[in-house]
Amino acid sequence: MMQWMTLFNKEMTENWRNKKWIWVPLVFILLAITDPLSTYYMPQIIDAVGGLPEGTIIEMPEPAPAEVVAMSLGQFSSFGVLIIVLTSMGTIAGEIKNGVAELILVKPVAYKNYISAKWAAHLLLILVAFAVGMFASWYYINLLFGDLSFTSFLFILLFYGTWLLFVVTLSIFYNTFFKTPGLVAFFSILTIVVMSIVTQIFGTYLEWSPNNLSNYIFEMVRADDISSQLVGTSIVTVAISIVLLILSIYIFKTKELIQ
Amino acid sequence: MQEFLENINWGIIAPLFFIQGLLLIFAILDWAKADNFRGPKWMWFCIIVFINIVGPVVYFLFGRRRN
Repeated sequence: MMQWMTLFNKEMTENWRNKKWIWVPLVFILLAITDPLSTYYMPQIIDAVGGLPEGTIIEMPEPAPAEVVAMSLGQFSSFGVLIIVLTSMGTIAGEIKNGVAELILVKPVAYKNYISAKWAAHLLLILVAFAVGMFASWYYINLLFGDLSFTSFLFILLFYGTWLLFVVTLSIFYNTFFKTPGLVAFFSILTIVVMSIVTQIFGTYLEWSPNNLSNYIFEMVRADDISSQLVGTSIVTVAISIVLLILSIYIFKTKELIQ
Repeated sequence: MQEFLENINWGIIAPLFFIQGLLLIFAILDWAKADNFRGPKWMWFCIIVFINIVGPVVYFLFGRRRN
């Protein structure tokens, strides 16, 4: 445990030094609020730049809070995932490449500590950034679009957090697989895209696919009710993540022993 | 356009610009102190300053060489 804390602290200092703790939360706030704000001001924006004839009245239905939540989550599912993958692609692969991993692992450091400390540090960064971003979105929803209770906000954090847990773990998994950061990013994105296509095609069979989380969260906010599908999907997502984490430790161990 | 600018509640929009500004400032501060870049240093300055939001992000992701 002492050793794990040391490794974890090393990761935290590193993420602090390369400013990830500053820019990732800032970008996540921007991701969360840009869409809601531009939607809110869309009539005025069209009015100002559209060149429509004088007197045209633009009426747009005001989106419900649930739809605005879906907008923010949509941004996290695309650009957010991209940022998660790009920020973590070099965390182990890069260290193996430039020899830092070797320096650490000649000391009696347990592989499971090395991997899980990196995983935990990155996960914490992403979850905090997401919470900050979603909080900004929640603030604007209450200001501009209608009531969204704080409890709903907390449930959004909890359930969408499992999806982010999966993305981070997937990226760490590929980190142990490949030595080139670019390949890590490529295969992480590819896996998520393929999963989403498969989920769309076999939707009826894959009710609990992690890719469905956003939809179920939208339903949860809309109907103000936690469905069994949402709970089931989250459990499946967490379970897959745990398996991936154990697998990455195992793969890393065998690979290092061979070398 | 005049009317458009008057119709907007700046109290609502201001945080958006403020955060973009923060991102820009932190990127510039980091850029000013660093010396190991991928490519020429002035190029990264242009990327950070002239490409909104994406510029600083790309700089933070790819600008510095790890050592």
